[in-house]
Amino acid sequence: MSKKSWRYALAGALAGLANGFFGGGGGSVLVPLLTRMCGLDQRRAFATSVAVILPLCVLSAGIYLFRGGLDWAAALPYLAGGLFGGYAGGKLFQGVNIGWLKRGFGLLLLYGGVRCFL
Amino acid sequence: MTEWLTAFLAGAVTGVLSGFGVGGGTLLLVYMTAFAGLDQRLAQGINLLYFLPAGLMALPSHWKNGFMEKAALLPAIGAGLACAAAAAWAATGLEVELLRKCFGGFLMVIGAMELFSFPRRNSTKHPPNTG
Repeated sequence: MSKKSWRYALAGALAGLANGFFGGGGGSVLVPLLTRMCGLDQRRAFATSVAVILPLCVLSAGIYLFRGGLDWAAALPYLAGGLFGGYAGGKLFQGVNIGWLKRGFGLLLLYGGVRCFL
Repeated sequence: MTEWLTAFLAGAVTGVLSGFGVGGGTLLLVYMTAFAGLDQRLAQGINLLYFLPAGLMALPSHWKNGFMEKAALLPAIGAGLACAAAAAWAATGLEVELLRKCFGGFLMVIGAMELFSFPRRNSTKHPPNTG
């Protein structure tokens, strides 16, 4: 495997750890690694992250289901919403301002993080 | 019904971000645990499933637009799968309150990274190669 492939593998491994453990957030780990460690430009890193995270979610979801079951009634509206939002996200992606996206996102996460300790 | 509708809307709004490739799931987790009052582990299970429709719907656009770094897929997914399995196994055995604290720490780190790291100026010199 080339040096570059090893870097991709390391990025994927760290994203997998976060995504499996927290049930999400793999993209938040993977995108900065793909840009800084692997030298991809932002837009490529974002798009590639969707394709990498997807199979990780399939596997992790299977393990969560197998080990703890799931309240399907609670899950269904989120899944339906995700279906529409995801489609729109793919379509809108080319025009979006990534800088502002990151700033708004960062603020919301800090807020959520603080809430976890209150 | 209102509950169903707000959950649907939350999924749709964060779904747009998920479609972009980052942050949708993280944000949805924050919504489910901090606002909708779901248990941390249930929220994580839902979030994993939620990414399947959201990610799948966005993927064709990304592929068509030529933003996909194909060389990254095999190594990243291969290593990612092994680590994701081990981490998911660990998380489903952990005490929920502890899981929530870990998640809080994770959010703060990621949030700070997003806020204080800006795209490098010269990144515009390398437009995504299409094809």
